[in-house]
Amino acid sequence: MWFWLAPPLAWFGVFMILPYCLLLYYSAGSVDYMTFKPGMSAANFIRLVTTEPYLGVLLKSAKLGAIAALGSAILAYPLAFCLAFHTRSERRKFQIYLLVIVPWWASYLVKAYAWKTILGTEGIINQALLALRIIDHPITSLIYNQTSVALVLIYIFTPFAVLSIYASLERIPASLIEAATNLGASSWETFYRIIWPLSIPGVIAGAIITFSLSFGDFVAPALVGGADAVMISNIVINLLGVAFDWPMAAAIGIVVIALGLSLISLSSHLEEKGAVRL
Amino acid sequence: MNPVLELRHLSKSFGQFEAVRDVSLSVAEGEFLTLLGASGSGKTTTLRLIAGLEMPTSGTIHFAGADITDVPPTHRDMRLVFQDFALFPNLSVYDNVAFGLRLKISRARFPRGEIDQRVKRYVELVHLGDQLHKMPHQLSGGQKQRVALARALVTEPRVVLFDEPLGSLDASLRKAMQVEIKRMHRDLGRTFIYVTHDQDEAMTMSDKVAVMQHSQLLQLATPEEIYRHPSSAAVARFIGAANILDGEVETASAGESLIRLQGGGALRAATPPGGLGAGARVQVMMRAEHFVFDRADAGPDINWLSGRVMERLFLGRSMEYQVRIGHSQETISLLDQRQQSVPVARDGALEFGIHPGDVRVLAE
Repeated sequence: MWFWLAPPLAWFGVFMILPYCLLLYYSAGSVDYMTFKPGMSAANFIRLVTTEPYLGVLLKSAKLGAIAALGSAILAYPLAFCLAFHTRSERRKFQIYLLVIVPWWASYLVKAYAWKTILGTEGIINQALLALRIIDHPITSLIYNQTSVALVLIYIFTPFAVLSIYASLERIPASLIEAATNLGASSWETFYRIIWPLSIPGVIAGAIITFSLSFGDFVAPALVGGADAVMISNIVINLLGVAFDWPMAAAIGIVVIALGLSLISLSSHLEEKGAVRL
Repeated sequence: MNPVLELRHLSKSFGQFEAVRDVSLSVAEGEFLTLLGASGSGKTTTLRLIAGLEMPTSGTIHFAGADITDVPPTHRDMRLVFQDFALFPNLSVYDNVAFGLRLKISRARFPRGEIDQRVKRYVELVHLGDQLHKMPHQLSGGQKQRVALARALVTEPRVVLFDEPLGSLDASLRKAMQVEIKRMHRDLGRTFIYVTHDQDEAMTMSDKVAVMQHSQLLQLATPEEIYRHPSSAAVARFIGAANILDGEVETASAGESLIRLQGGGALRAATPPGGLGAGARVQVMMRAEHFVFDRADAGPDINWLSGRVMERLFLGRSMEYQVRIGHSQETISLLDQRQQSVPVARDGALEFGIHPGDVRVLAE
């Protein structure tokens, strides 16, 4: 048995365990100009949560992550609901499903760049408004702020939320809806008392993972964020490059990973506890 | 007196498939009617049409004299007990039963203050008083069924509909629940409409049975009537072991006729009310339980036949023979419940008799 387990274990060890250990090692050290000095202090972690710009950026990343999670849940729910309850034919269901999934396969970078061409000063929106003479000068505030970052994040992660919510809605047996109707419940009452409570696990699961992924995202803020929407991962890139503070970068990495992991385990714990056995 | 429910020429098609074809029946208030049929016979669709979960393609439904064909399911005073129970998994037993009482549509009939005592009363009625706060996944199949029953009864509907509610329960539990449901029907005095494919269930529980096959209603009558006077071979085959043989009328008179069987032999049969024409082709039905085997014990009137035993089955209290008469290819089942026959081995000859009154001549 060990013979077969050895390759995957080795891979796991070299490419996952080892890097994490290195990360931890680095985060405990410090840097003196361009030289790394190993150490055993938690100074970097303390600095991370007490000083600017780190604290502010952490909070901003959390805020944008939360907005992305909420926004994609709100957009995704009606779509998932239509898919689950209002599409009669299997073919139509498949078509809509494809429409949601296929863009997801396209490169994230390409999609984020596409938003630059939509929101930019020479982008489609501005060109259209100028051509219609609604404005004289292009609107510069459409891009390079927190709103544009939130917009892109929501756009990127809505398909994920759709899948998650659809899965939980699809599991609801039709006989439950019929039972509610038979007892006299209006469409709204059936939704509010039965469908919505049973779909909550799907909504939460989607939201938590959207948050975890958005929190550590760097493409969206890099392309459409500008100075106003610097997120924690952009800071890490700076620290690894120009600013040259690998220990700090490592510390941030560990915090982000830990946060992500704890959220995901919270999500699955909630799902087990709250999930009603249908 | 007005029937509480009336179906007039009800039909329902799903695309090309005709699920219900020209079904007409009426149900008296307080009656226990069972729709009996195999899967695909249209009985469940008929029930769903009554509940309003499906809309008919043609025909009308009348409830207490009023035409409710276009009334949505939420506004019909009929509650449905589902085959898969359909309990709301996110609500406790108490909340499941209280569900119908808390809806906007019920505000007028059920003031909030009364909800608690009503819920408790019906949960007690199904003997689940100590399970009020359990969640559905913590209950057994039988308990879930009883919650579903309480939930349907609590709004005191005029008609209670049952869609094969005992199908997923094991045999002993099923028997117990049948007794429960029958008792509840007697105690509450409401109209029950029950759907099942189990003929024993239909026969023991109902006041009236509607036999359905191939989307049509074959016969609507009391269980006894269906058993003794099935309106056709199809109905006869449905209930019990009915042996049906082809034959031709040799002679016919007002009281008794002589039928010559296709495979050989002849039987004296009671002439059906409509009379019989000589030479007419008919089918005769003989119930397996009606045969006698002891010449000495039997009366003078008995038809005596002999046949070859193809199979012999020991059923404990009785012996079943599968016998071929003459050169017929068909086997008929004979049930010897009183150990009258001397056990005959396979391939042996067996003599058996049947009273002319038990030989039923059927319309084709």
